[in-house]
Amino acid sequence: MSAVLATLRRVRNDRRFAVLVAMLALAASGFVFSSCGGDDGDSAAPATETTTTSEPTATETTTTTETPPPPPPGPTEIRIVVVDGAPKGGIVREKVEKGDRVVLIVRSDVTDHVHLHGYDVMRDVAPGKPARLPFRATIPGRFEVELEDRGVPIADITVNA
Amino acid sequence: MIVAHGIGVVRDLPIPAAYFFIGAAVVLAVSFVLLFYLWRRPVLEAHADGRKLPSGLSRLVLSRAVRIVLGAFSVFLLGLTLAAALFGTTVELLNFAPTFVYVIFWLGIPLLSILFGNVWSVLSPWRALADAAVWALEHGGREARPVLEWTGRLGRYPAAAALFAFVALELAHPRPAYPRTLGIAIALYTYWALAGMAVYGRDPWTRYGEGFAVAFGFLARIAPFAVRDGAIVARWPFTGLGGADRIRGTLLFVAVLLGSTSFDGFSRSSTWQDLIADLRAELAGSSQRTIDLATTFLSLGGLAFFVAAILATYLAAVAAAEKLGRVERSLVPDFVLPLVPIAAAYLAAHYFTLFLIQGQFIITLISDPFGKGWDLFGTVDFAPNLAIVSPETVWYVQVAALVVGHVAGLAIAHDRAVAVFQGRRTALEAQLPMLGLMVLYTLGGMWLLTRG
Repeated sequence: MSAVLATLRRVRNDRRFAVLVAMLALAASGFVFSSCGGDDGDSAAPATETTTTSEPTATETTTTTETPPPPPPGPTEIRIVVVDGAPKGGIVREKVEKGDRVVLIVRSDVTDHVHLHGYDVMRDVAPGKPARLPFRATIPGRFEVELEDRGVPIADITVNA
Repeated sequence: MIVAHGIGVVRDLPIPAAYFFIGAAVVLAVSFVLLFYLWRRPVLEAHADGRKLPSGLSRLVLSRAVRIVLGAFSVFLLGLTLAAALFGTTVELLNFAPTFVYVIFWLGIPLLSILFGNVWSVLSPWRALADAAVWALEHGGREARPVLEWTGRLGRYPAAAALFAFVALELAHPRPAYPRTLGIAIALYTYWALAGMAVYGRDPWTRYGEGFAVAFGFLARIAPFAVRDGAIVARWPFTGLGGADRIRGTLLFVAVLLGSTSFDGFSRSSTWQDLIADLRAELAGSSQRTIDLATTFLSLGGLAFFVAAILATYLAAVAAAEKLGRVERSLVPDFVLPLVPIAAAYLAAHYFTLFLIQGQFIITLISDPFGKGWDLFGTVDFAPNLAIVSPETVWYVQVAALVVGHVAGLAIAHDRAVAVFQGRRTALEAQLPMLGLMVLYTLGGMWLLTRG
C-alpha cells in the first residue's frame, strides 16, 4: 500500500507524468476499441445455444453492416416444443439478424396462445395444432415469446442490429 | 411476463465487450487523474446556493396559482390512473395505468428532477390533496395540526420501507402490471402518503416517509436549479450533494434505490431467467398459486441480496476509510451522498430505452385509458416506433451515463474526504477505499449491461 502511495504522490508532484498516464490510458482504450470494435454483436456474452433446431439460412452472416446481404431464399425457422406447459430443454434462445424473415413454429401438448412480444404476434396453439408465427425482424432488441395464458416464457429471440 | 421491470416489450441488446472495455478504461483513467488534480478544500457546499434567477421568474414559478393548477392536474391524473387500474381493461398494455405508473411516473419524474430540481414538491398529488385538506380545515375555522410530533427517531426508514414495497411490486410480483393489482397498490400507497401526512404533518412525512418524494428529492440535488429562501437559484450540477447526511436510514434508502436497479438488470439475464424456468419446471403440476408464490419469494430473495450487497460493500469501504484516515467516529453519513449520482446513472442506463419506447404508448393510451375502444384525442392509431434508437446509441448512452455518474460520485466523495481527513497524505490514503467502491459499482453496473 505505501509503495503504491509513494508512486501516487510522485505522480502528484509531476503533472507531466500524470498527463502521460492519462494519455496512455486513452491510448489503451483506443487500442481496445480498434481491436474489438468491428465485431460488436459477437463479442457480447457467450450465447447459451440450445439444441432446438434452427434451419440455417443460406447466407453466411460474415457480411459487413454497410452492404445488406442478399435476401435469403426462405425464412429462418425457429422450432419450440412445449411439454407439460414448459419449453422442452429450457427457454429457447435464438439470434437472428435485422431484416431476416423468421417464423416461429411452436408444438405444444397444452392449449394456449403463443405471444411474441414487441412484434406483437399472437397465435393459438393446441395439441396436434402447432402455431406458426411469421415476422420480419425489423426491430433490434431482445423479445420474449410467451405462453400467454399461463404466463410462461418459452423463447427469447435476439434481433441483432 | 418474464420482463422484470413492471412493463415493457423490447429489451436492450447486451452491450458489446468493446464498449465495456472502453468504459472501464475511461473510468479507471479519470479516477486516478482526478484524484490528484482535485481541490484541497471542500467546495461543493459553498456553491450549492448558486445565483438567484430574476425574481419575477421565481415569483411566477413558485406562485400559488401554479401550485394549484399543477396540483389539480396531478390529482386528476392520480384519479384517472386509479380508475383505469380498478375498472379498465385487464389487458396490461391496453390499460393506461401500468404504462403511466412504471414508465411516465417512475422514469419521467426522476428525469425531470435531475434536470430541473425538486419538481415533485409541486407535482405530488398526495401533497396537493393534503394541502387542499389543510386549506379546507383552516377555511372552516378549524386548526389543522398533526396528531403526533415527528421526533426524527425513525429517520428515513419509513421512506426506505415504502420504496422497497414499490420495487418489490415492480420486480418480484409475478404480474406487476396487472391493472387490478396495480390499482390496489396505488390505493394502499395513497393511504400511506395521506395518513402519514395527517399523523406527522405534511413536511416531515414528505421528507422522511413518502418514498417517492424522498427518492426524487435526492435526485433533485443533482439538478442545476434549486429553491433557496423562496427564490429559484441556478448552480453547478451536483453541488447540492456536498456535505454529510446525518439522517438515519439514508444509507438503506440509497441502497434500495441502487440495489433494485441492479437487480432489475440482473433479472433480465439468461442466468436468472433460467433459474426461474428451472424452478417452474421443478414445480410442474403444482397449482399456479404455488408457482407464483415460489417465483415471488425467489425474486424477493434476489432483490434483498442485491440491496444487502450494496450495504455490505459500502460499510466495508467506509470501515477501511475510517481506519486509514484514523477517524474515530462513524463516517457512514459522510459518504452516502456520492452514491446518489451513481444511482441516477444506473436508472438512466437501465431504463433509457424503456422510457423512450414504452413511453410512446402513452400517446395512444391517453385517448383510450380504460381500453374500451374510445378515441378521445384522435391518437389511438398512433404507431409507436419501436426502433426509435439504434442499439449503438443505447450503448453509448448507457456507458456515458455510468461514466458521468462515476466521475460525479468520485468528485463528491473527494470533496467530503478533504473536509473529514486531516493532512494531505491521510486524505489521499483514506480516499482509496471509496475510489475502489465507486469503481466496483460503476464496473458492476456496466457488467450487468453486458449480460445476455
